[in-house]
Amino acid sequence: MALQSPTAGGTDASAATALYLYGVTWADVARPQPGAGVHGESVEAVPYRELAGLTSAVESTKVPAKRRDLLRHAEVLGTALVHGTVLPLRFGVVFENGTTLVEDFLLPRYAELTQLLRKFEGRVELSVKAFFREEAILAEVVRANPRITRLREATRAASDASTYPLRVELGERVAAELQERTLRDRQALLDRLSRLAVDVQVDQQPIEHQVLGASFLVERERVALFDDAMNELAQEQAERMHFKYLGPLAPHSFVGLTAEAR
Amino acid sequence: MAIATHGTASNYLQRAPSPSGLADVVELILDKGLVIDAYVRIAVIGIELITIDARIVIASVDTYLRFAEAVNRLDLTQTEAAGLAELRDGGGDGKAKGMVEGAKDALSGEGDRKKERAKRG
Repeated sequence: MALQSPTAGGTDASAATALYLYGVTWADVARPQPGAGVHGESVEAVPYRELAGLTSAVESTKVPAKRRDLLRHAEVLGTALVHGTVLPLRFGVVFENGTTLVEDFLLPRYAELTQLLRKFEGRVELSVKAFFREEAILAEVVRANPRITRLREATRAASDASTYPLRVELGERVAAELQERTLRDRQALLDRLSRLAVDVQVDQQPIEHQVLGASFLVERERVALFDDAMNELAQEQAERMHFKYLGPLAPHSFVGLTAEAR
Repeated sequence: MAIATHGTASNYLQRAPSPSGLADVVELILDKGLVIDAYVRIAVIGIELITIDARIVIASVDTYLRFAEAVNRLDLTQTEAAGLAELRDGGGDGKAKGMVEGAKDALSGEGDRKKERAKRG
């Protein structure tokens, strides 16, 4: 294990380099990741007591949020998670150098960061999204609601001005039915999955046909159980929903620092 | 601490180990995670160049007309099995693929299954 000093990477400290921070982990599980960082730079650990910041050199303090570098940021955290618990940072946190990283962040936040790392020890984030299949859910809505069935029959033949008010009413009623089904099915999915998790964060932003967008904090040893539950749901709901299932991730949705007291 | 991908014989849905789509990575990396006090966080530029393909539902006449059109396009004889399969085991063969999502679905476990496109009107 090569824990590097703050000015690692052989770069001249006087050059206009800065230090990009991916996350914070325990120093004893921090591993360098050659060439894996933003702009292809190597990821090195900057240790402070039991903590280590995972960093790489960047040329400027302005880091463009390019697709490739966003993915690298995620991948660096994913690799770090294989070795141990990691607190993920949002994209784009840059320090002047290793000294400021320690003095401005790791040292003043030492107690809080170690506490957070302990809290997330052995736990990972799993991201779940469920979407209605449009044709299936619309067919369901048409069959379930007699008024919608009739409006559909009345407007099917002609989509001209004569049916405009009826089409608006039809669409409005369909939207209301979809909303009701979204809320009902979201709760049903949450009821099935939440009991396997330590914590859950539900995305409230309405996205068309998205039934559920949620992150679950799950003990590593229960991930297989969670997989089984997801497989059951995907199978049961195959006709009307499809799923996106992502993880294990560092606890992006669950980390937070208290506002600085000053 | 192993992060083996869970694999069973009845694997209906594959868990993806890391985000691969732009929308997922943006959500994970730009919207979530630790934020440090503003004075150490230096500007990230270029975020405005990123487009996210999430569609926000806005209750408007346009949305209603779009739904009305989608409902009117449905061929209910094709999707009968799907419609009745609500919240119980599937088994019908009328697997209807969402019309609106499309590109966003790439990460879902659908690659494992045979997709049958419902006939469109």
